[in-house]
Amino acid sequence: MSIQDFIAVLPLVALATAAVMIMLAITFYRSHLLTLAITLAGLAAAVALLPLAARQTPRQVTALLTIDGYALFFTGVILAATFAVAIFSYVYLRRRTGQHDELYLLLLLAALGAAVLAASSHFASLFLGLELLSSSLFVLIAYPRGRINIEAGIKYLILASVSTAFLLFGMALIYDQTGTMEFGRLAVIAGNTDGAGLLTAGLGLLAVGLGFKLALVPFHMWTPDVYQGAPAPITAFVATVSKVGVFALALRFFSEVGIHPHAHLFLLFTLIAVASMLGGNLLALLQNNVKRMLAYSSIAHLGYLLVAFLASGPLAVTAVAFYLSAYTATTLGAFGVIAVAPGHSGAEAETLQHYRGLFWRRPWLAAVFAAMLFSLAGIPLTAGFIGKFYLLDAGVGSSLWLLVFSLVAGSGISLYYYLRLVVVMYMRPHREGAREGADAFPWTGSLTLTLLMGVIFWLGVYPAPFIDMIERTARLK
Amino acid sequence: MAPIPANYGLLLAALLFILGLAGVLVRRNVIFILLSIEIMVNAAGLAFVVGGSRWRQPDGQLMFIFILVMAAVEVSLGLALVLQLYHHLKTLDIDRASSMRG
Repeated sequence: MSIQDFIAVLPLVALATAAVMIMLAITFYRSHLLTLAITLAGLAAAVALLPLAARQTPRQVTALLTIDGYALFFTGVILAATFAVAIFSYVYLRRRTGQHDELYLLLLLAALGAAVLAASSHFASLFLGLELLSSSLFVLIAYPRGRINIEAGIKYLILASVSTAFLLFGMALIYDQTGTMEFGRLAVIAGNTDGAGLLTAGLGLLAVGLGFKLALVPFHMWTPDVYQGAPAPITAFVATVSKVGVFALALRFFSEVGIHPHAHLFLLFTLIAVASMLGGNLLALLQNNVKRMLAYSSIAHLGYLLVAFLASGPLAVTAVAFYLSAYTATTLGAFGVIAVAPGHSGAEAETLQHYRGLFWRRPWLAAVFAAMLFSLAGIPLTAGFIGKFYLLDAGVGSSLWLLVFSLVAGSGISLYYYLRLVVVMYMRPHREGAREGADAFPWTGSLTLTLLMGVIFWLGVYPAPFIDMIERTARLK
Repeated sequence: MAPIPANYGLLLAALLFILGLAGVLVRRNVIFILLSIEIMVNAAGLAFVVGGSRWRQPDGQLMFIFILVMAAVEVSLGLALVLQLYHHLKTLDIDRASSMRG
């Protein structure tokens, strides 16, 4: 491994170093604020090292990692999202008892796993990144060790392990048929031996495994329970960072191997996408719990992303990169509001009832939440609108009419439940200021939420510089 | 002694995988579900070893070692969570532990 290789992976090294430093710091001195400071410093260092690593791109670091603009772009999204999650976690945990330091350690490790996924170009690194991400998540979800957290943790553990087994079996079948685990060489061999039954079966199993991780219908059963049971900042992490890492990997893998030659696979993905868009949105209509509602809406959003994924081509990558960034900022904001919103005596503000009259009690929080919901619904002037526009453009460009139609129909349905929540927030509260206790949250929480809202409006009103950056960096061969 | 055909190995791996999957779907005790998952994961490991021997590469066995480590991590985390679950509910039945619906 040469010095250039080392520079290219420095952002990953920074993350790992910060994790080790937290481990050491915990043994000497437990301080919530110190741990947060190390976490944020580590993430900031990793972001600062991205331009340095970018000078070495594109670079193949051993057979395992491909550090190119694409990988670095998604690493940047992952790092920024983890930064926000760490701040929300601080606000969230300060109100609760228990030892908080290990949460940040696991957060950094999970982010490292997601970043490895975004750069991986070999089954071994895919597997390692995925396991680093999901084993950290098992613990993070169950972290406060309440009854509901444990239940969500076990549900996630079982379903994630089963999906990993599917993924592994698919990888084993592909390896058995091609004799290589590198994506590039595998694509060449797979192109020459078309119609091999076991190879298609392997790709299908791989798709099922990734479908579980991305929570696409019909592999979505775990999503609402885990989103509801996990602490709100961790829910934000599951909904954003883990999805970004896995989706970046899936796009890289399937654009190298190519879905179009495998007609069955293309049909499978089309069905999954339509089912996710319609199923996610329809089930969200029935929810009374805001976290569950957002869980079903995230299923639908991943379905939208599949439209660009199936369109393939350079526009598709731009569309996916933009939409994932917009979705990440928006979802972080939405779950961030839930994380900092005042609940009843230590519990989270989960049900629709908690948000009744939020505007009259906390106008700024309600305004931020409303902006996030508008962006999720794809209303003009927000990032969600531009993102959906790009997805539609990619879909229409490849004449995927069924998918385009489902996207439009799904967005139409989704307006109802997003706007219902907005309306509830602006209703007059039942009891005036009844439950306003010591629930003030630090300015860091409000600042992060305000910044996220700024990002959403910036991407919605003036997206050109950001799209330029995506087109310059996030490209696949 | 004639070598065992590669397809037999794959067939065995597929059978083990399906057995494990059936176990996950049918069993209601968390411990047995974890056991069944272990069988599924190891079936994938076996398929990797078969592939490695077919291509005469060490990669397949290497993946098996990764898989063993991962399985150990998952079981230790899983059992820790199961202990906590038992502490809260005094049951290992996954259906009775499930309270979230909808």
